[in-house]
Amino acid sequence: MTMHNTAKRVEWLQARLRLLEAEKALTRQSDEVARMRQALPRLRIDKSYTFDTDQGSATLADLFQGRSQLLVYHFMFGPDWAAGCPSCSMIADGFDGFAVHLANHDVMLMAVSRAPLAKLQAYKKRMGWSFPWASALSNDFNFDFNVSFTEQQQRDGGIEYNYRRGGHEMDMQPVPPTVAAFAATCGTDAGSFTRDRPGMSAFLREDGVIYHTYSTYARGLDGLWGAYQWLDRAPKGRNESGIWWRRRDEYEAR
Amino acid sequence: MTTFTQPQPKIASREEWLIARKALLAKEKAMTRELDALRAERRQLPWVRVEKDYVFEGPHGRCTLADLFRGRSQLAVYHFMLTPGSDRICHGCAYIADHIDGARQHFGQADLAFAAISRVPLERIEQVRRRLGWTFPWVSSQGTDFNFDFGVSFRKEDIAAGRAIYNYGTPVRQSEDMHGTSIFARNDAGEVFHTYSTFARGDEVLMGAHSWLDLTPKGRNEAGGIMSWLKLHDEYEAGDADEHACCR
Repeated sequence: MTMHNTAKRVEWLQARLRLLEAEKALTRQSDEVARMRQALPRLRIDKSYTFDTDQGSATLADLFQGRSQLLVYHFMFGPDWAAGCPSCSMIADGFDGFAVHLANHDVMLMAVSRAPLAKLQAYKKRMGWSFPWASALSNDFNFDFNVSFTEQQQRDGGIEYNYRRGGHEMDMQPVPPTVAAFAATCGTDAGSFTRDRPGMSAFLREDGVIYHTYSTYARGLDGLWGAYQWLDRAPKGRNESGIWWRRRDEYEAR
Repeated sequence: MTTFTQPQPKIASREEWLIARKALLAKEKAMTRELDALRAERRQLPWVRVEKDYVFEGPHGRCTLADLFRGRSQLAVYHFMLTPGSDRICHGCAYIADHIDGARQHFGQADLAFAAISRVPLERIEQVRRRLGWTFPWVSSQGTDFNFDFGVSFRKEDIAAGRAIYNYGTPVRQSEDMHGTSIFARNDAGEVFHTYSTFARGDEVLMGAHSWLDLTPKGRNEAGGIMSWLKLHDEYEAGDADEHACCR
């Protein structure tokens, strides 16, 4: 590690107190943005979706499992892939540990992907996760919530992701090396890999009616990426010039 | 079923919703960029050399602060609140701990080591760890000044005299132990530096479950008091809304 500006405790404390003011301001700003999220209008969902789950066929209402709120992590795992996306896997490593707290606070947190249920079950076993994970293979769910796209959309440059048409890293031609490398680790090609994208969507069930309240994509998921929150406090920060993370069982013992 | 804490929003058409969502997205993006700038500022903090030799007690014997790095150049310490003589396990600390084992599987690759530190005897730590099933390194700072030096434990006489200060400015009135996170760095010469500590709501970003709640229609939903809903993860009842109740 390179040498850093070392200080006496009193100097450090002055710098720390200045930073604390900035941190507190952002905490309050984050509270305000959370309030604005809760004030978003809601969209009634009239379409019916049928998912494949460990317990059999399920509707969107079933996925709430008796809670009034449902959070779906749109886990990138295309129908023809051999493994789920490594970044989504790292996010899932985080929520697998704490989803129990949300399940007991009126919030069901689960993953939904397009891959067939048997593939999801095998991958979940490999990674040692216990959160519920449904397959949306037989419905339009992923397409309607802007995390899966057709080859036609891809050819026409008609992919609208994160509320913006085109211009995303995953739309770039030629394919960026990081995207190609990730596609390879999922046992697929870049074309297929980039037809699925990450996101999360929030739903509310009230008097038997389901509403879509919120979706976020791309760096909107930053806050849900548990390991990053720790790295953001380490002296080297995220310390990344490219993709450094792997699936948890792919690291060498060190 | 819990209720809403603010007036319920209107039900919109997709076009209306999208307009509101895009307006919010602009604010979220601005905040992401401000957060990036704040992170850069955090990395610019000066470092303070740690001169004291702290010796901790771990399951494999005694270890120093340098040992906790396990060959890496960065160390994150979570100051887990456990008070000697008390059988209470802090719910907030346990909630944060439920996030750590998942995240830390990726720390090694990112040159970061992790340890939780508490000032109770190791035996008590091991008892709590076994009950809640965590695997992260967790050592006892019993008999050292570590917790006091890093602002998470307070001596009774300092509390009585009004000298006990938490989070860089909040007077401590009662609690002898508080929570926090401290970061250390080690250079090639093996010297250890303190780079950063955060307390109080500064630890909220380590509560990934809160980040999810902040995206829900009901938010943190804490009308009963901040984090009043929280329990240890083995204290939740398997009620009628359990995992397998839905699909018949």
